[in-house]
Amino acid sequence: MTNDDIASLIGRVSLRDRSAFSALYTNTSAKLYGICVRILKDRGEAEEALQEVYIKVWRRAERYVEGQTSAMAWLAAIARNHAIDVIRARKPASSDIDAAFDIADPAPGPERSALMQGEGRRIDACMEQLEAERASAVRKAYVDGESYQDLAELYGVPLNTMRTWLRRSLLKLRECMDNDDSE
Amino acid sequence: MMTPSSESGDYKRDEVIAGEYVLGVLALEDRRKVEARMAIDTNFAAIVHRWEDNLSGFNDAYEDIAPPTRVFPAIEQRIYPPTAAESLDVAASGGFWNSLLFWRSLAFASVLVAVGAGFVGSGLLTPRPSGKPIVAELTSKENAISLLARYDNRTGRLKVTPIAARQQEPKSLELWLIEGDEAPQSLGLLPQGGEGEIRVSPDMQAKFSAGAVLAVSLEPFGGAPNGVATGPIVVSGTARGF
Repeated sequence: MTNDDIASLIGRVSLRDRSAFSALYTNTSAKLYGICVRILKDRGEAEEALQEVYIKVWRRAERYVEGQTSAMAWLAAIARNHAIDVIRARKPASSDIDAAFDIADPAPGPERSALMQGEGRRIDACMEQLEAERASAVRKAYVDGESYQDLAELYGVPLNTMRTWLRRSLLKLRECMDNDDSE
Repeated sequence: MMTPSSESGDYKRDEVIAGEYVLGVLALEDRRKVEARMAIDTNFAAIVHRWEDNLSGFNDAYEDIAPPTRVFPAIEQRIYPPTAAESLDVAASGGFWNSLLFWRSLAFASVLVAVGAGFVGSGLLTPRPSGKPIVAELTSKENAISLLARYDNRTGRLKVTPIAARQQEPKSLELWLIEGDEAPQSLGLLPQGGEGEIRVSPDMQAKFSAGAVLAVSLEPFGGAPNGVATGPIVVSGTARGF
C-alpha cells in the first residue's frame, strides 16, 4: 500500500468511514505496533498503547494535511508520541528545556519558511556528516525513545555533554538539509 | 507581531526544541509545552512537522509486528458506542446522525431544551401577543455546531436546526454529498436563520442514493470559496435506504 493509498484512507476516516478505518488498521497496525513494542519494550503495554494510538488516529484524521508530512510518517508520529509519553510518565526525566531555553515565549524568528521544500537530502546522507558516536546517539534517541538521562548513561558521558551532542547534531542536520534544499 | 529582525539564535532555538521534541528526548512537561506552543504558533508547528518528516527515514528501523487479533475489536468498541448504533437501527434514518459529536450535542441540547421548558413554565417565555417567534441558540464550548431553537407561539411549534456556532468570524455550515472517491459536491448551506430547508438541485437529486456520504463542514461565511470544501468536517455519515 502506497503513502497515497494510506492518505486517501485517512481522508475517508475523517469522514467517519468505518470500512476505511478497518482497512487503515489492517495495513498499518503491524508498523505502529512494532513502534510501540520497540519503545515500550513490553508487549502488554504496547497493546494498550496501540488502542490509544488508533483512537487518536480516528479522532485526528481530519487534521491530517496531505503534503505536510507523508501519511505513514504522520501515523508513525502519533504512535511514537504516544509511546514516548507513556515511558516519560513511567520514568520521569528532569525538565531539559528550562535550563537553556524558554519555550513558552514564541521566538518571532525571521520569516524563514518551514514549509516543506521537497524532501531535500535524505537524512542518511546528513547523518554521515556527524561523528559516528553522536549519529548513533541521535538515532538511538529517536528509535528507542531514550531520554537524555538514559543516553548519558548508555554512552558513559555526563548529562550536559549528551545535551550538547544532540543539540549540536540537530543544528548540523538542519543546516545540511537546508543546504540541499537550496541547491 | 513580528520584530523587524531577530537573531538567528531564536530560530536555532526553535529548531533545536522542535528537533528534541521529535527525537523524543524531552521530559513530559516539556513535551506538553511544545504541543501548547504548536497550537498557537503555526510557524513553530511547521518546524516540528518538518523534523517529523525529515527524521521519518529512521522509521525503517521499526520491524513490523502483527498485533494480537483482539486489539481491533477493542478499539472499535471504544470508538463506536453500541447505544448509538442501536438507536440508529431503530431510527433507520441514515448515518448522518451517527456521530459522537451529534449525540454529544444532542445530549447537551436536551438539557438546554429541558431548561427552556422550565422557562416556559415559569413565564419567562410567556407567549407574546405580537406572535413573533422566540429564538434560542443552544451552544456548548467544544462544538462547532449550535442548535437554533425557534418557537412559534401561534402554532406551538418548536423547530430545532443546526447552525454554525458563533466564532470570532461568522461561519457557515455547508452540506456536502460525497460519492465514493469523488470530491465533495455542495448541496448548499444550512440556513442560518434556523428555518427552511435545502432544496436539492435536479442534477444532484440523481446522485442521492444509499451509500453516498453526507457531511457538514464549517466554512467561511457564505460558503466554501469556489465550491471546494475547505473547513473541518463537523459531522458526517453514510446514507442508507429506509
